[in-house]
Amino acid sequence: MTKKIELNFIDRVLKTTGVVLLICFVFGLYYFGFFPALAFLSGGVWGMINLLFLSELVKVTIRPEGAMKTKALGLAVIKFPLLYSTGYFLLKVHQFNPLYLLAGFSLLFLIIILKVVARALLGLDYNHDKTKSWNQVK
Amino acid sequence: MDYQSMLAWALPMAVGLAAVGSGFGLGRAVGSAMEAMGRQPEAANKIQTGMVIGAAFIEALTLYALLVFFILSGKIG
Repeated sequence: MTKKIELNFIDRVLKTTGVVLLICFVFGLYYFGFFPALAFLSGGVWGMINLLFLSELVKVTIRPEGAMKTKALGLAVIKFPLLYSTGYFLLKVHQFNPLYLLAGFSLLFLIIILKVVARALLGLDYNHDKTKSWNQVK
Repeated sequence: MDYQSMLAWALPMAVGLAAVGSGFGLGRAVGSAMEAMGRQPEAANKIQTGMVIGAAFIEALTLYALLVFFILSGKIG
């Protein structure tokens, strides 16, 4: 029984996180108010963009054919100064409680853990064959 | 030493320790991934995915430490 991580695992994690974030945002609006819900959403979106840029950066720099230098430089410039300064700005917004930002940021990792646990313990895996939604990992 | 002085000492040290720990962890993770990719180039994509997820988790730990720094730094003097 081989359990492997597919190439598009990160893409699927990002999509799932986006959907869960939107659902949490709607519930958060009702139960916690606008700014806590927005802080949660912002933290989650920041984490998603961070993971996306991290994976793209790794993909363009670590390749058998050699690194794509221009693209890697562009991604590094966007990820490190711009994204991190955006995170600093989010922390400095007085209406945003850092704990809600942290909760939103952590959602991504919770989803990764849940996906891996579901795969490891329940033997479930998403099947791209549209006729079946779930199947046993072979 | 009062509470605020201790906090002023501990917070930057905690962030520094977190950064050093994450740096070591990330270095080991990426180094091992490079070695694995060198040994099995056909599995490079799968190793990359695992490495990115591991790197994101390690980066998150440093960000948590930084966030705790920001939350508690308001209580210093």
